[in-house]
Amino acid sequence: MTAHGYPTSAAISRGAAGSAGVGGWQPEVAAAPVTAGGGSGRDRYLDLLRSTALVRVVVYHLFGWAWLTVLFPSMGVMFALAGSLMARSLSRPALSVIRGRIRRLLPPLWAFSAVALALMFAGGWNPVKDPDNGGIWGVLKLIDYVIPVGAPPFPWHIGSKSGLLEDTWAVQAAGPLWYLRAYLWFVIASPLLLWAFRRAPWPTLLAPLGLTAIVGTGLVTIPGETGNAVTDFAVYGGCWVLGFAHHDGLLSRIPRYVAVSGSALLMAFGLWWASGHLGPDGWDLNDIPLAQASWSFGFVVILLQYSPSWRELPGRLRRWDKLVTLSNNRAVTIYLWHNMLIMATVPIIDQVYNLPFMQSDRAVGALDSTYMIWMFLLVWPLIGLTILALGWIEDIAAKRSPRLWPNGVRRGGSRRKA
Amino acid sequence: MASRTSRHGSAPGALDGSPRRRLPMRLLLPLLVLLALMAMLMLRGYVHSEILADHRVRPEASAAKVPDKILDGGPVIDTRSGRTTSLRVPAHHLVLTFDDGPDPTWTPKVLDVLKKHHAHAVFFVTGTMTSRYPDLVKRMVAEGHEVGLHTFNHPDLSYQSTKRVDWELSQNQLAITGAAGIRTSLFRPPYSSFADAMDDKSWPVTEYIGTRGYITVVNDTDSEDWKKPGVDEIIRRATPHGGKGAIVLMHDSGGDRHQTVRALDTFLPTLQRQGYEFDNLTEALDAPSAHTPVTGLDLWQGKAWIFLVQASDNVTGVLVVALAVIGSLVIGRFVLMLVLSAAHARRVRRRGFSWGPPVTEPVSVLVPAYNEAKCIENTVRSLMASEHPIEILVVDDGSTDGTARVVEAMGLPNVRVVRQLNAGKPAALNRGLANARHDLIVMMDGDTVFEPATVGELVQPFADPRVGAVAGNAKVGNRDSLIGAWQHIEYVMGFNLDRRMYDLLRCMPTIPGAVGAFRRSALERVGGMSDDTLAEDTDITMAMHRDGWRVVYAENARAWTEAPETVQQLWSQRYRWSYGTMQAIWKHRRALVDKGPSGRFGRVGLPLVSLFMVVAPLLAPLIDVFLLYGVIFGPTQKTILAWLGVLAIQVVCAAYAFRLDRERMTHLVSLPLQQILYRQLMYVVLLQSWITALTGGRLRWQKLRRTGVVEAPGGLIPRQPTRAGSGDRRPVG
Repeated sequence: MTAHGYPTSAAISRGAAGSAGVGGWQPEVAAAPVTAGGGSGRDRYLDLLRSTALVRVVVYHLFGWAWLTVLFPSMGVMFALAGSLMARSLSRPALSVIRGRIRRLLPPLWAFSAVALALMFAGGWNPVKDPDNGGIWGVLKLIDYVIPVGAPPFPWHIGSKSGLLEDTWAVQAAGPLWYLRAYLWFVIASPLLLWAFRRAPWPTLLAPLGLTAIVGTGLVTIPGETGNAVTDFAVYGGCWVLGFAHHDGLLSRIPRYVAVSGSALLMAFGLWWASGHLGPDGWDLNDIPLAQASWSFGFVVILLQYSPSWRELPGRLRRWDKLVTLSNNRAVTIYLWHNMLIMATVPIIDQVYNLPFMQSDRAVGALDSTYMIWMFLLVWPLIGLTILALGWIEDIAAKRSPRLWPNGVRRGGSRRKA
Repeated sequence: MASRTSRHGSAPGALDGSPRRRLPMRLLLPLLVLLALMAMLMLRGYVHSEILADHRVRPEASAAKVPDKILDGGPVIDTRSGRTTSLRVPAHHLVLTFDDGPDPTWTPKVLDVLKKHHAHAVFFVTGTMTSRYPDLVKRMVAEGHEVGLHTFNHPDLSYQSTKRVDWELSQNQLAITGAAGIRTSLFRPPYSSFADAMDDKSWPVTEYIGTRGYITVVNDTDSEDWKKPGVDEIIRRATPHGGKGAIVLMHDSGGDRHQTVRALDTFLPTLQRQGYEFDNLTEALDAPSAHTPVTGLDLWQGKAWIFLVQASDNVTGVLVVALAVIGSLVIGRFVLMLVLSAAHARRVRRRGFSWGPPVTEPVSVLVPAYNEAKCIENTVRSLMASEHPIEILVVDDGSTDGTARVVEAMGLPNVRVVRQLNAGKPAALNRGLANARHDLIVMMDGDTVFEPATVGELVQPFADPRVGAVAGNAKVGNRDSLIGAWQHIEYVMGFNLDRRMYDLLRCMPTIPGAVGAFRRSALERVGGMSDDTLAEDTDITMAMHRDGWRVVYAENARAWTEAPETVQQLWSQRYRWSYGTMQAIWKHRRALVDKGPSGRFGRVGLPLVSLFMVVAPLLAPLIDVFLLYGVIFGPTQKTILAWLGVLAIQVVCAAYAFRLDRERMTHLVSLPLQQILYRQLMYVVLLQSWITALTGGRLRWQKLRRTGVVEAPGGLIPRQPTRAGSGDRRPVG
């Protein structure tokens, strides 16, 4: 992509000024008015972080490399960005802000839920008879597909192992929905959290870490879904409040050497803790709450401490401008659908085995050994198609006119991809 | 500062003039050295089973799929080209087999006993041990024994992929070829025992190994000598019943094997008297030898492998010694610093301590300035507040930003501005010296701010007529950024530990350009400032020592400077310092053989300074290489603990320095990160200086410097906010 499309682009892609984005995914338009030709008030650094976090999530879910969780703690970054935006929005009446956030979150989720549930039912899942969470309660919990106050139920095994999809596809597809639950609770808790933060910044900032040390280490175990919700809230609460701190300028008031050195120490503690509590996937921090909390917290402090507030992407990063804009505008769609799309690459690639020139052992071996790479290459076009097919729901939810491919290029331009 | 600025301009000019070609070339060499070191370490770790070792052993499995004739058959299993046969050793033949060797201690003893009793045996050697002790394998072959493969690093093959199995065999074979020039067709799987112990997990491996052309050899009797059950028990277990032939399992490696050796010494003659013959396997089976000579490329590959392993072992040995040296140097230096700086502080802070009668005579303050328009006003105003009578001489070294005008516009009494065409800092200082009216000269930088008491404190030591020069205490002003905090720690330690130590040892290497005082007569005796080196402050200080003057440290003469804010600025500043120091040491090398005070400095001060500033830092990367290796390949915990131990020593020293300077301790929080990020930068800079020096960069530098001086006023080089006082170069963090 060339850079020349940029300067005028930013203003258009974020047309409806004033509408609050779904934090963490969808950046909102800055309070400053959009200036002609000079880019909007969007902080492109934060946009870049959000895009990086999304790509990292997709790659991680595809390859399953545990070290990616150390390389870039995506979830912590996303929650921090969301927290920062939430703090900004809360200068308006809290109730309307929360309502706005929920309104923007739900329609894309409904679209996803409709498809996922239809597939599960078609696959023969009966929530009443589910061995793990059956009965009336199981049916009631289906409401989480509509309003994600909890993580929705799903069958652990569906279909047969020899079917088109792996029998665990439902687990994979519904897996990312925990994020929506956590996000929803953070949004609802934000007015209170912000109030606490402004009265007692440090205790509020550090309390989630303390809570993680209690509920995330087995010291106190809260059973079931509530336990998961509390643990997630604790693990990422620090990052969410860091978003407040970033917005209120607290972070920039701390001398940089203190912030960076302190974070480094906290992160070292996180790694040390992880080394002694390795999970089933080794160094995958997602399985080690306290390590995840401290590593993400430190990482986010450093990222936000250096936050350079770019009005446009500098230098070589500029070539990614359109993708950054697109992924920011369609973050909810990408996040919701990516895991199901990863699953969907498998039956598609499997078709290749039937091709006439693929019948030799060598060809099959070559495909076997490069299978993940093909999945990786295929998942992006699939995400693109999903954006085209369902991305507009995000615009509708935000009370905007729907757009097909909001990558920041002026409408009617020849760059539109379809 | 002027010339530091212009030089400074020239330094990056020289470096960055062609940044895409020159800088990477200079970085390439250190990087290659580090990579080679790391590769050597990894090779060593690999043959010492620290890397890629797999200690899992599979529990017994069912044997349903193993052919009965194998389970009931002999210990020599032949699965080559689709065969499934096994052989037994004929009656009255014993084949002794020794696993896991060669071992440097026990294998020679086993070989000696075998030789004494004219017995032959089979040694199943591992690739790692063969690579480390190739001579023993050579001896085995020469003395008529057979060797067999026992894999490269002894994993349970049933856990391994066929790729890994192939690799284990070929790498083992490579080592044997390199050691003895032969290839063997015998193989014994690790953790194997009798033929009837074959199970569904190990049998497929055995079949596979047959397809690779090897005969698998297990055993009939197991001496279990590794349990050290006593000589009699070993003999009892090894001896077959009723004159049957047998393959006997023993070990010549993996621990104390003196029982095995003693058992052999009894066992061999006893059974030989009973009519047993001790042959190697193919002799016992009356088959052609399992060895085939190797020639050509394969032989040389093997030899190259053995050579590399030997080299890596030797290099690692040297590295370990070097690490010990550097470790003791670092710790010795810290101890010396702590003791001497405590002594110094006690001395100068003693009640009633004085250098002599108070010095009240007026002082000339020289402020060389090159493009300091932004800072010069602060500098001059801070001087106007001086409690000591002074005259101020601002020497404008051809600034292009109107530095001189800024000063003149202030319209202050007793401030004079001297202009010159850009000629460098030494020239500016000499010009200032020529224009100065007083006999005590204070030199400072154009971006430095003095406290009201600084000048007075700085000149008090001149009450002692032997003192020729005084170093002040430069402090970092911008200490809130990370890089600023690191330099702050470095400065506080440099001034409060290093400088006090050097003061007592009478070999202070540098009067910082930011805050220093000189006796005019002393300056004139050594010929004023010189532009022979890039570090004129170090050069002049050494010249003072050689002329017999004392150079002391005045802790209360504080000057506030701004430290470099970017890595690039810091890099070029430190490159200038470290290369300049080398030049100065080289320039004054003749002091080593001089008589009188010059000789004293040359034989005590110069070696000390060279050791701490130039040699020790060169070895410092070793610490990081070993740290990295230790963390990745283990023992991780011990390595990190050791590192934390060294860190703790640093923290103690730094905290002591901070206390001496009455600084807040909060900045020490950035010390751990400093050790991980900053120190490495410093030694890469030093390494680069070494390379410049060794590749004849001295001459080239001079030439480039001239062009740089010409270019700098043209504004090609962005003004650097900082050239802080030099001197606190701490060699090893």
